Amino acid sequence: MRLGRASERLTWIALALAVTAVASADEPQKWLERMNQALTTLNYDGVFLHSQGGRVETLRIIHRVQGGVVTERLVSLDGSGREFIRSGTTLTCYLPDERKVLVEQQPAQSLLLGSLPSFGPSASQFYDIRAVRHTRLIGKKTQLIVVTPKDEYRYGYRLWIDQATGMPLKTQLCDRRGNVIEQVVFASIATPDRIPDTAFQPDMATDGFQWVRQLPMSTPAATTAASSVSRWSALELPPGFHMSVRAVQIMPGTTGLVEHLVYTDGIASVSVFVESHMHADHTLSGSEQVGSTSTFATMVDGHPVTVVGEVPAETVRFIANSVQERPSARH
Amino acid sequence: MNNEELDSQLSAMFDDELPAPQCELLARRLARDDALKARWGRYAAIGAVVRTERGLRLDGHLASRVSTAIASEPALLAGSAARATGQRKGPLRGWSQPVAGAAVAAGVAAVAILMLRAASPDLPLIAQAAPPPAAPLAAPVASADARPDSYVVPPQGESSSFTPPVELADFVVAHSEFSMPLLRSSALSALVAAESSSDSADAPGDAGKSDDPNAGTSHAARSR
Repeated sequence: MRLGRASERLTWIALALAVTAVASADEPQKWLERMNQALTTLNYDGVFLHSQGGRVETLRIIHRVQGGVVTERLVSLDGSGREFIRSGTTLTCYLPDERKVLVEQQPAQSLLLGSLPSFGPSASQFYDIRAVRHTRLIGKKTQLIVVTPKDEYRYGYRLWIDQATGMPLKTQLCDRRGNVIEQVVFASIATPDRIPDTAFQPDMATDGFQWVRQLPMSTPAATTAASSVSRWSALELPPGFHMSVRAVQIMPGTTGLVEHLVYTDGIASVSVFVESHMHADHTLSGSEQVGSTSTFATMVDGHPVTVVGEVPAETVRFIANSVQERPSARH
Repeated sequence: MNNEELDSQLSAMFDDELPAPQCELLARRLARDDALKARWGRYAAIGAVVRTERGLRLDGHLASRVSTAIASEPALLAGSAARATGQRKGPLRGWSQPVAGAAVAAGVAAVAILMLRAASPDLPLIAQAAPPPAAPLAAPVASADARPDSYVVPPQGESSSFTPPVELADFVVAHSEFSMPLLRSSALSALVAAESSSDSADAPGDAGKSDDPNAGTSHAARSR
């Protein structure tokens, strides 16, 4: 009888643990959703440090959503005084050190401060996501969420999310061993109900500046639509990567059309650019690192191929080396 | 270029037989010329019908919309049939409407993509914005505006005039639209770096590049 009661109790404990486990498995995803919601819908004004490749820069971000229009301003507080102001799809870059203003069109959803893609079931095959602990940052209670890659082909994230607002107060991009590759840390942040228009005026006189308009270079396009003009693909991919976008576009600095293929594992994205023109050699070659972005350039059957992504160098090399003209496209 | 030449170029483009530099020229012209766009639409249709043999499949909704459009243009169907039978062996008579429609849609969709890419009115990828006209403009910008319709290869394409990081910046920026960088200005800073060094690389003697030998050689080098 006693034994029976004990085992019954154990069953209950096991059941309770199982329920907790299910709930907590959902929880980290919920935090990420909340964070993305906060980044896109809240008004915020904060100062943060951005460090990458041994360089640290202090910036101020102001983000406002008013009447469905997103306005953002990112100001470098160190030396250069550069400012990026986005209103809807127009992004204006003020570069006082160059005495230039660049104006370009961006997809409306491109926040100046990055978010994470929604964490779908396929991503959980290749990343482990956990709500690790509660901690305090700049006087606010945060939840630390850790996204760890399960292999060496992708990077992970550590996110300290403000429990009150959902804003990421600290974000780290890390390699598999936990080394920090890039980091954003807020020194102060406010989430005011209203932000006046004057907050989105550049803090400089632009008299005598050169204005340059950068025309849009690419727009997402459906895979099927471009398939009859596209000829290339990566035959082998690191586990979990699949093609999400295939497009043919004209790009500055290249001759002829460029085929642009985008591969993703649900979190990380890698772009493959294949130039339609044949060249004797590629002006680029081998691995390069642009901040946290890895690139690899090579030649395939006389065509320059450039692969770019926020993934380890090995991943872009792997993909670049498997780019081939599709058998059906050969003449 | 007269209409006949244009027609033959459009047709070659949709049969995948036009060299890339000329495809690009056509694409740029198309972006500005509505009459030409209409012709392009027709050639997309014709090319796609010819390609039906290669077994294209398409989204049914789009296909039905396009096949309705095609059905309302009998001259086009007659023209494409004549052309198809002229070029290929085997009769193309008796295609059922849905099949033809589907194939046509494939062509139209492909065109839509190219149009999307080529939608900028003047394709020099950096053009001068409104103020201030008297600013000391970088040479490639000025020559881009003055470039006639008949240009073949953009001066930017002369890759030897770019240092590697500049080329890389263009790719990094193009990629950043599909990625989630922690801070978007990182990619933009790469663009800024590209702007500065391309100015210094291109400023002297850019005018000489308009008679670019690259056009001929790259054409010849194509494996067709």
